[in-house]
Amino acid sequence: MWIIIAILTAVGLICGVLIWITNKTLPKEPASLAKAQEVSEHLPGMNCGACGYPGCFAYAQALSKDKKVFFSNVCATVLQDNTMLGGIEKSLDLVVDKNAMNKKAVVCCSGDCEKIGTYVGVGTCKSASKILKGFKKCPFGCLGLGDCTHVCPQNAISIDVDRKIAVIDPDKCTGCGLCVKECPRNIIKLIPADSKVVFRCSYDSVRDIPGREKCESGCIHCRKCFKACENDAIIWNKEKQIPEFDLSKCIDCGACIEACPKNVLTKLRVDNSKKEKVLSK
Amino acid sequence: MSEAGPSLITIFIGMVLVNNLILAKFLGLCPFFGVSKKITNALSMGAAVTLVMLIASIATTLIYRFILVPFKVEFMNIIIYILVIASLVQIVELFIKRTNITLYNSLGIYLPLITTNCAVLGVTLINAQENYTMLQSIVSALGGGIGFTLMLIIMSAIRERLEFADTPKSMRGLPIAFIIAAILSLAYMGFSGLI
Repeated sequence: MWIIIAILTAVGLICGVLIWITNKTLPKEPASLAKAQEVSEHLPGMNCGACGYPGCFAYAQALSKDKKVFFSNVCATVLQDNTMLGGIEKSLDLVVDKNAMNKKAVVCCSGDCEKIGTYVGVGTCKSASKILKGFKKCPFGCLGLGDCTHVCPQNAISIDVDRKIAVIDPDKCTGCGLCVKECPRNIIKLIPADSKVVFRCSYDSVRDIPGREKCESGCIHCRKCFKACENDAIIWNKEKQIPEFDLSKCIDCGACIEACPKNVLTKLRVDNSKKEKVLSK
Repeated sequence: MSEAGPSLITIFIGMVLVNNLILAKFLGLCPFFGVSKKITNALSMGAAVTLVMLIASIATTLIYRFILVPFKVEFMNIIIYILVIASLVQIVELFIKRTNITLYNSLGIYLPLITTNCAVLGVTLINAQENYTMLQSIVSALGGGIGFTLMLIIMSAIRERLEFADTPKSMRGLPIAFIIAAILSLAYMGFSGLI
């Protein structure tokens, strides 16, 4: 009886002393690690990987080494949250212009593209885009099979059953960019969160569409929007033949949206009356 | 320490294939399902488990031979092993964290996770049960670790492919993984006549 207690206590004590000795004799952890520990307390801790680092702690380590990483690989969740942003600003001695960095993801396709056949294969965009570059006439059109809906951590993406394309709810979107990487056709783009007008087409005249007709509802490069804008807020990109927006001049008048003959330009927040038809995932 | 037992090769093959920790003894199932989604994760987990198994079995064999057997308290091995393995992992973790931060990051959360892993405890208890010598327990721990890693890699390779398969909605994720584990286990039973 006593010998059992003695042995157990002795083994426990020896183990404890060994840990204490190793803790004392080993060199202290480097200073950058303590800094990273401090930074990581202000990170969301969800380890989503959207910043490009494997987990929040790795991101914190990168931040503590070079604070410019925050601008090149921004954490979208921190940008949305004032307390976290404040903590990061304090511990890294940064000044962040929140509005300039905040982004929203938009699907750059307005749907209604004709199909070239019926696709009955595996129900993911990745598989569908491998066969004949997808089943829609335009190779830059949203296939609407919903690969992006599965990666969205905020459940902001749903499939519009009428137009058979993915739509992103700008109120839920944090701009993390996970869907941008997921889309096999690269038609989800990150735009500044205070944009008023969205150009919903991924076809520009530089891209050729081999052996395919262009979609009926795509941009026809007519420049009507460019001419309609009275504030010079639309800059015509001559290389790609598509409109680009100068946010500081845009007054949200909607003239370009009305001018567009193909309804490619829309507001960032589409009116909610359509939402009833949207099939949530 | 020279009593005759099974040869080292028999022990090694036995631990890797015939008495595989996961599929034949059903030990360490939580990492088997938890960390088998990506091959890279599976590899680091396997490496960490093998390392800890080796260190733990060396330490526990010493304790078994020189403390538990002389005092005739072999029945205490479970509780003492838990204590010893947990503190060993703690020491190893401290050591890695202070000396090689890159290795620490790549092992990540896996080291603390396996502090009380049943596969690690299982190998040391098997060593005690079979009364292995020091060399034999080292080989058995190595075999156990390699068998564990092999299983994790096979499982993660299958699960990476499953991501692209059109599984029925109710079977997606863990349910289909359980079924695969069962089929794998059935297949592994084919090795049982090897030794």
